[in-house]
Amino acid sequence: MERKAGMHRPLVTYDLNPSQYELHAVIGTCCNGAGTVHLARHLPTQKLLAVKKIHLDAQMVDMKYLEHEVLMNRTMSHVNIVSCHCTFVHDNHLWIILPLMAFGSSSDLLAAHFSEGLPEAAIAFILYEVLKGLEYLHSKGVIHRSVRASHILISAEGHVCLSGLRFAYSMLQEGQRSKIVHDFPENFVNSLLWSSPELLGQSFAGYNTKTDIYSVGITACELGNGGVPFADMPVTQMLLEKMEGCTPQLIDMQTMPELQQATPGAHGEESLPFQRTFSQHFKNFVEVCLSPDPKNRPTASSLLQHSFFKQIRRKSGMESLVSLLHPVTPISDVGSVPTQDAEADLNDITANLQSVSVETHLWDF
Amino acid sequence: MPLFGGKHKTPQELVRNLKEALTYLASLNDREEKKAAKASDDVSKTLLAIKNMLYGSVDQDPQTEVNTQLAQEMYSSEMLLLLTENLPKIDFEGKKDVSQIFSNLLRRKIGTRMPTVDHICQRPRILKILMDGYKNQEVALNCGQMLRECCRHEDLARRLLYSEDFYKLFKYVEVSTFDIASDAFSTFKDLLTRHKILCAEFLEANYDKVFIDHYHELLISDNYVTQRQALKLLGELLLDRHNFTTMTRYISNPDNLKLMMNMLRSKSRNIQFEAFHVFKVFVANPNKPKPILEILLRNKERLVDFLSKFHNDRSEDEQFNDEKAYLIKQIKELKPQEEH
Repeated sequence: MERKAGMHRPLVTYDLNPSQYELHAVIGTCCNGAGTVHLARHLPTQKLLAVKKIHLDAQMVDMKYLEHEVLMNRTMSHVNIVSCHCTFVHDNHLWIILPLMAFGSSSDLLAAHFSEGLPEAAIAFILYEVLKGLEYLHSKGVIHRSVRASHILISAEGHVCLSGLRFAYSMLQEGQRSKIVHDFPENFVNSLLWSSPELLGQSFAGYNTKTDIYSVGITACELGNGGVPFADMPVTQMLLEKMEGCTPQLIDMQTMPELQQATPGAHGEESLPFQRTFSQHFKNFVEVCLSPDPKNRPTASSLLQHSFFKQIRRKSGMESLVSLLHPVTPISDVGSVPTQDAEADLNDITANLQSVSVETHLWDF
Repeated sequence: MPLFGGKHKTPQELVRNLKEALTYLASLNDREEKKAAKASDDVSKTLLAIKNMLYGSVDQDPQTEVNTQLAQEMYSSEMLLLLTENLPKIDFEGKKDVSQIFSNLLRRKIGTRMPTVDHICQRPRILKILMDGYKNQEVALNCGQMLRECCRHEDLARRLLYSEDFYKLFKYVEVSTFDIASDAFSTFKDLLTRHKILCAEFLEANYDKVFIDHYHELLISDNYVTQRQALKLLGELLLDRHNFTTMTRYISNPDNLKLMMNMLRSKSRNIQFEAFHVFKVFVANPNKPKPILEILLRNKERLVDFLSKFHNDRSEDEQFNDEKAYLIKQIKELKPQEEH
């Protein structure tokens, strides 16, 4: 479902002014540490929001990429793609005002509680929503290139959004549609594990939207297993394994029968790792997504018809996601996260004062 | 011909449908919301069909002959003007399709002739509407994209540069919304750098209006991004050999030198660094006018001291270190001008 932006006036307007936003605890970082994501309150409506504050003068900030990410966010409009309310510059910080995704990212969920993976039903719901977002991007000729658990955000109500458009690439450029892409994204190190063999291979054959489908497959394993495949090996070995067509798998009692005999009895069944059986549909889903030949991978649209998604309860999907995520709870109020220590603010002020007062080099005009 | 059979429409039909739907949509007022939604749907569907015809799809290459007809229909029905005029009424995805249709058409070539460029040259109103688009959040980014597509063509870039509307960009690059300001700056930069000779002539002919009346405001802007980008672009413009005359004028003005010396001491490291790249041109000038030389002489010790501590952590940037060493040497060797 595409949002018909521009048809109606928005009910809430977000002012381009920092005084409208009361910043609270830091709930994340971005831009290699040059930015912080704050839990914030929009004062006029008292609603909770997320404010991304990026220090533009920091060395690791590349303005070109920031501009690209903001532009991509602005030109893509779909319920499953994260949208920003507004962006403005204050002092030397860029403020990006975003809706609060109170469960954080799906990778936060793994870290918070599900270290051995999420329940299959939760994964089905999450990936279904992700694929709807991808279907939209692909229909616009855009390749996301960085699908991974940390780029999937979940709201308090269980609404799922794809973020991380920094690496998104439009295949419609210079008045033409290109069928294959050769561009290798810069500063891509953190996303290599999720990348398809054809993107990593940088061969003459190039890659297309199917590279995202491969990343969905890796993300499915990440969400199912609680860890990213290939994470335990050096990058070069990961490259080789992918090129040679090695396909990662979901870990359960069937794919890893040796786990059954691992340590029986002693502490009861509950202490055994990976005590579960994923459905055949899920395993098949992962397998087709990870087909070494991109031609054999289905499109996002056809994957939405995959039998893996039959288990989603259409009407109560979002609610059941929230209950499946128990005992993890979303951020519900500014008090639910420890507040930012006042010292950091103080440091900011003193740093500013210093830079103003050190006037050892007054010029003589 | 399978393409024209069944549900596929001919270029003539598509353009006619678009014109009808668009004219109808434009005639509706704000209270006729339901009718407008339906008309807007029709417009967007037709725009998508036209875009797909021009660009082809994943499994169908674009067809040259069909596209030639389509372009002809677009010209003869004044569709480009109609689309730009009514852009705010078109829905979100439709606006993006307009911009992509525009950019495909603009690149059309028949031998050495560029029919869409000629078409727009004869309808400068299109350029004016696009430039004014920056005033409206809803269309700013779409218009920006189309403007930069126009900038690629010298004839259109010339019209944009030499129109009064060009000076509006100095306001647009400073608007509070980051994405719109950035987009406007890209357009601004493209206009001032893409066609070297055109740009050099323009800057020379309009030096006072551009640099004294307008550019200065950007350099002292309260908006960090505007200031930093303007300063960086200034450095690029002055160092481009095509702009030699402009550079000479700029570095003869003591006010400009004072501004750069103050910016060397900005609290932002990036601004200090960009200011250095402008400041160095003043010092490297072998024929420094008297007022410039006097300022440098008056501050000789302080400058040497300042520069020797300036960004010393950039040890890996060889060019910067060479330039800095050169400047320090030059400043140390400065002598008062002898009276002739």
